[in-house]
Amino acid sequence: MAHPKDNQPASPYSPAQPTTEPAVTSSVARELVGLLTHEDRDRARDRWRVARARWKGRSWRSFGGLRLLWLLIGPGVLVFLGENDAPSMLSYSATGARFGVGFFIPFVILTFVMGLIVQEMTVRLGAVTHRGHAELIFDRFGKFWGFFSMGDLVLGNFLTLVTEFIGIRAGLGFFGIRPSVAVGAALILVLGAITTGRYWTWERITLGLAIFNGLFIPAALLAHPAWSQVGHALLTWTPLPHGDNSEILLLILADIGATVTPWMIFFQQSAVVDKGMQPRDIPAGRLDTVLGTLLASTFAIAAILATVPLFHHGINAADFQGAQFAQALEPWIGHVGASLFALGIFEAGIVAAIAISTSSAYAFGEVFGTAHSLNRPFREAWPFYVFLLGSACAAAILVLIPHAPLEFIILTVNVIAVLAMPPALAFLLLLVNDRDLMGEHANGFWGNFAGVTVTFLLVCAGLGFGLFTVFPKLLGG
Amino acid sequence: MKFDDRKRSNEAEVESAAARNERPNLQDPNVVLSLLEADQVVATKTRTRFGKRNLSVGVRWLLWSLRVYVFVMLVIVLISVIRAVHPGH
Repeated sequence: MAHPKDNQPASPYSPAQPTTEPAVTSSVARELVGLLTHEDRDRARDRWRVARARWKGRSWRSFGGLRLLWLLIGPGVLVFLGENDAPSMLSYSATGARFGVGFFIPFVILTFVMGLIVQEMTVRLGAVTHRGHAELIFDRFGKFWGFFSMGDLVLGNFLTLVTEFIGIRAGLGFFGIRPSVAVGAALILVLGAITTGRYWTWERITLGLAIFNGLFIPAALLAHPAWSQVGHALLTWTPLPHGDNSEILLLILADIGATVTPWMIFFQQSAVVDKGMQPRDIPAGRLDTVLGTLLASTFAIAAILATVPLFHHGINAADFQGAQFAQALEPWIGHVGASLFALGIFEAGIVAAIAISTSSAYAFGEVFGTAHSLNRPFREAWPFYVFLLGSACAAAILVLIPHAPLEFIILTVNVIAVLAMPPALAFLLLLVNDRDLMGEHANGFWGNFAGVTVTFLLVCAGLGFGLFTVFPKLLGG
Repeated sequence: MKFDDRKRSNEAEVESAAARNERPNLQDPNVVLSLLEADQVVATKTRTRFGKRNLSVGVRWLLWSLRVYVFVMLVIVLISVIRAVHPGH
């Protein structure tokens, strides 16, 4: 790999190429000495802890390997648990209530595998280039395509944020908490997470909240699932769903949209950069992403299993929201189970609200060249924090407006996520194949095969949706 | 010294300091710079940009067709939502 910075003058906006060269040995080290920021020092502190854990990891008896993993996990787990958000958990719940145990159990696992393939590429891009996804698109494709890409992201993120607050409101509504109080409490949590001025602390707080996504597991156990049926479904993908074909297609699309979305690409790459990961951390980043996939897919299947009693009792859950699911489940999984379910929806909403608003703020900072790191104090990166909080507040206010078109937003959000995904994947694949950027870390044949297959499947799903929306009689609708 | 040698020697230095359990003095710029890659330093990132790549005809065609796809699909989503909200239409 070439290292063109070696003899490069440090003029403004000089061309860059990624390098694994330590800053202290670079040709511009002397100039950098006077320009270090709070962000650089915090990141250096994180790198020192990683170096120490890596040293200790050489001895198996010291558990240094586990310490290293603990230090490097974060973006992958957060992105997948963040994507198990309120509308996603409601999609899984609707799937369980409408079709029970069958085709959708292995199908949901397949969607997570698709998500894993996509997200692994963002780990490599972030660790090698140290640039966020939005920044790379603007740099490599220019403003024209950059703004198109940002338009998709901003629209999708805002609509998704609104649905998170709908979930928060609905989840706490089960306990009789007023919408304004629920939404206000959620905004305070978002604010609390970002006031630390430290990426590491923000990440641990959000991970601590995200692990409560596991509340769906006890809720599922209280529904007493038939494990033999679950095993049979996993092996045979049967029974296939029967009934209204357009409804089946919509649920397929919603379940894909619950796992593979553009904000995940932008968020994980920016979080990898903010965490300060380097190319030698890529294996740990992969492990982090696999761990996130395993946790999130387990919790998603738990949500499906928790609502299967509604399927067995023939209860129509087509228009249910969070609290209604919990209320409808109460006779079969008890008050404790229903409470866990409602809390799970609240948690899903709050973690996603934190992650998605951060994703939007990262992209904003990358595009407009302002400071964009959770390692920066407010006074140094106020546009980043204002945008982050502003997008969360705007979504929260919309949810509180009487007669706001919330039904419209819920119906569209996951579908829009699927439809916006192919262009986002095209940019991702082009960037990760760009050898000028990625060098030896560029995609190989199998990486491209998997990436192109996922893109093809998403385009087919979108086209199928379009075809049967325009010509509903094709499906007997 | 070749680049790879410098890199290895820096890594060894950082790791051996970490192994001695020394707390890093992050007020010392050289310590900060020894822990970060050149591309990771904010000042470097704000002053450098990856240049725009040459978009081949195939890539342009792909990006435009996906853009048209998203536009058409958004119209279809709108139709679908109107039908769902007003089932009579």
